[in-house]
Amino acid sequence: MPVRVAESSAPSQVSGAHSEESSPPICSLLTVGQAFSGTQNVSNLQKEEAWRVNVRIQGCDLEHGYLCGTMEALNVPMADTPVVTFWEGEIVDAKNYTFYTGKWEATPEDDIRHWTKFPSFAPLLSRVEADGGKSLDLSNYPYIFMRWKEQYFVNVGTDCGLTIAGFYYVCFSCSDGSINGFYYDPNSRYFFACNSFLTYYCPFQKLELKCANEGRSGFSFSSYELQ
Amino acid sequence: MPTTTASAVCTTVGNNILLRLTSGERDVKLKALRELKNQIIGNRTKKLSFLKLGAVPAVAGILSDAVSAVDVADNDENDRIVKDIIVQSAAVLGSFACGFEAGVRAVLDAGADILIQRGCLVEEMPLLKSYMEVVDAGARSLKMIYQSKMAPKYDFLQEENMEFLLSLLNNESENVSGLGASIISHSCKTSLEQKLLFDAGVLKRLTSLLGGSLIQRDASLESIATIFKNNPEVVSQFVGPDTGRTLSCIIEIVKDRFARTRLLASLCLIVIRNASPCYLQDVGIKTKLINNLLELLDDPGRVGDEASFAFSSLIAEKEDMQKLAFEVNGVDKLYNHLQKGSLHPRRFEGILLALADMCSKLECCRSRCLSLQVLKLVVDALAHDSSDVRSAACMCLRSVSRSIKFIQNLSAGSFMNETIVIPLVRLLDDTSTAVQVAALGAISNIVVDFTTRRSTFIRLGGVKLLVQLSKSMDSTIRLNALRALRNLIFLAEDKCKEEIFMELTASLLASLICDPEPSVQEQALALVRNLVDGRINSVEYIFAEDGIILDAVGRQLRIASKAEIEIQGMYVLGNVATGKESHKEAVMDQLLLRAENKAQSCIIKFLQSNDSRLRTAAVWAVLNLTCSSSPGSSGRLVKLHDAGIVSHVKNMVNDPCLDVKLRVKTALEQFNSFDDSLILCIFSPAASNNKASTSCLQFLTVRAVGELSHVVDPSSKEEESIANYFRFSMKKNKKKKSTRTVKFCFDVPADSL
Repeated sequence: MPVRVAESSAPSQVSGAHSEESSPPICSLLTVGQAFSGTQNVSNLQKEEAWRVNVRIQGCDLEHGYLCGTMEALNVPMADTPVVTFWEGEIVDAKNYTFYTGKWEATPEDDIRHWTKFPSFAPLLSRVEADGGKSLDLSNYPYIFMRWKEQYFVNVGTDCGLTIAGFYYVCFSCSDGSINGFYYDPNSRYFFACNSFLTYYCPFQKLELKCANEGRSGFSFSSYELQ
Repeated sequence: MPTTTASAVCTTVGNNILLRLTSGERDVKLKALRELKNQIIGNRTKKLSFLKLGAVPAVAGILSDAVSAVDVADNDENDRIVKDIIVQSAAVLGSFACGFEAGVRAVLDAGADILIQRGCLVEEMPLLKSYMEVVDAGARSLKMIYQSKMAPKYDFLQEENMEFLLSLLNNESENVSGLGASIISHSCKTSLEQKLLFDAGVLKRLTSLLGGSLIQRDASLESIATIFKNNPEVVSQFVGPDTGRTLSCIIEIVKDRFARTRLLASLCLIVIRNASPCYLQDVGIKTKLINNLLELLDDPGRVGDEASFAFSSLIAEKEDMQKLAFEVNGVDKLYNHLQKGSLHPRRFEGILLALADMCSKLECCRSRCLSLQVLKLVVDALAHDSSDVRSAACMCLRSVSRSIKFIQNLSAGSFMNETIVIPLVRLLDDTSTAVQVAALGAISNIVVDFTTRRSTFIRLGGVKLLVQLSKSMDSTIRLNALRALRNLIFLAEDKCKEEIFMELTASLLASLICDPEPSVQEQALALVRNLVDGRINSVEYIFAEDGIILDAVGRQLRIASKAEIEIQGMYVLGNVATGKESHKEAVMDQLLLRAENKAQSCIIKFLQSNDSRLRTAAVWAVLNLTCSSSPGSSGRLVKLHDAGIVSHVKNMVNDPCLDVKLRVKTALEQFNSFDDSLILCIFSPAASNNKASTSCLQFLTVRAVGELSHVVDPSSKEEESIANYFRFSMKKNKKKKSTRTVKFCFDVPADSL
């Protein structure tokens, strides 16, 4: 989460999400209960910060391309305790969602600019530029692309001095469960003059997580079923 | 309803009437019949009183006599009175049967239905104008009898019965044709009967009745619906030039001025649509049906009560219909009706179930319910007197909580935890099994919680009740109680898990894993899977009471044949295999234990399963057992190799499922990091007194996981000395990650080294 005060965003409309564990997941590492930990680096013109982040998947509805979970940020400056947020994800599956966001003030150019930061996106670029990736069959691609948007703070008030106005472009690696993400916040652009043109610079905020096995040797999986 | 309850009055009058019924004079009889008819019509209390006085058999007797006295060929005035007697006695019997179950029973016991049929409707009578009254009276009475569930089943398979039915349908009189339709609506149950009726051509006549009187229209709509219900074959045969006409006719009737007719027409279309979705796909007709039913909710009577059930059958399981209904403010409209309060139980139940269907798939509907504060009214309904209402309220809550997003919003919003949990927990003790099961459904969703609701539930004694229910004789209750417990344990904190486990006990869990019901086994295994997940010390639970749970898991895996059970079982073992060395070894023991008459470990069967989820679970177990960071992994790898498991995994390198393929790839990388061979020790015969040496002399086996570069033949001249200590060098790992040597040394006497 960027360390800046801004208005908190309104929760987005998400189509039906009931977590049925019966259909096979795309990747067993991206399932409910799975934990990931790593860092979020905030690097902008003024400063560099990094704080530890833990993510846990809580809900998963592949049919609707929906995912949700919590994100916990530790050692955040300006916060006394770890800050926990609840986020919802859109899985780019060419059926429910495409690579083009179409909301949250992200333009197609913003989309392409962020997706291309992921090396695994490179082979898909031309098709995405052509039709948003609608014709792609991503079911056998060993990476899952998502957008994660934080919806609300779970354990702190909105006056905590943090913002959840933006969202993450996320790339998940199916082979080892590692997650990379880039935060996009339209409000945190810096305008400056360069060669007499007014241009903007976005602070670079990278999320890097690995699948956490929480003290175990190997990976453990639990599940629930909503009736 | 008149409130005359003074049985004294009734008895005097009643006895008087009954006395006159036994009179020999037909005039007196007739008058008494008319009076009796007037007394009981629309008066349930009087019906009961006269019933107790034996009125029904008496009237049935009169009818029987009158029928015998009838001479169809004779058409003089004497017959006038006989006909009137038949008409009136049929009317009285019909009235007793009308909406009064005890009356129906009495009428049937007296054989009056057969009497009426024989007396009023058989042979030439329907064809004779002078007998029209008799026929009509008989038909009306029989129709009332056939409206009851207790009416005898009409046997359509008998040819003469079918002919009789057709003659009824073809009759001009609306009562007679209405009777024919009632018989169909009441008795046609099986698809065979539906087909028979369809083949006999009844639809043509029923369709023409749609244009008849109100009675004919209503009766016909019900019958058409009965013939098509759940029968796609019959509906598909309903193709032809007539189809469009019939359908558009019924669609028109949806706009009829009578509410009941509108409801019946809607039901008819719903039945057709549900049986064969290729009909009535037009968005316009779908919206019309939805709007019609929502409007019918305004009807204060039975039509309004039933409209919500019709609405449910229209939208159940169909996301597109639910979306349409949402767009025309279906949730709001249902909520408005809920708010009216003092609802008739049937209506209350219907609206709750309709809301449950609306929220079964769509998040927008659930959010709307939350924002409208529907839940408060639903939670109030949990304490209703009617068990059907309580059950429906639970189903509504279950439906609405079928989403993590909703559950999160519940936590984040102002709706208090206890407000929902307390009444639900109370229902776990409900006298009705159906209510208990419905409550379990709602609870199992609500306890999937990442905040404090779980602890509220435990604090209120919820766990004790769930555990008790998991011991129920009723397998549905056992199953649903386990589902709730499984969800409750998911990612639960240590303290919470401990409380639950202490209540459950290892022996109960072990027996549930071996439950006679496969679905119960599955849930029990899923529960254990969640139990041993989390902090590493949770794995210890499975070893409680001498490891009976682990033994039960292993046993079930060896005998199970249902994929869902095998998947859960494998994940249990896989989870335990992420623990300490001793845990991993225990899993190995289970996996390598052979089932009776089985040559290989059960895991090999799972690796070859058609179900990719099962293959995934099996590979994960192997991965966890051979985790590079664990010291004993190489030894386990050798055992897995010996059991043929490793080669099976290697064969899965091109698995069609991406997830499986990636796990196998990781597994192979893991295997290759142990590119080890076993080392031979050869002892000199001089060391034969060494306790290990004798066996070693015979034991010259080379086992390698990697590739061998060199094999030693102990009898060959390659041996420099039999006292020497041979070591095989490994073929280096192609990726040059690391080379490792593992020595398996036997007790070697110092002088032989």
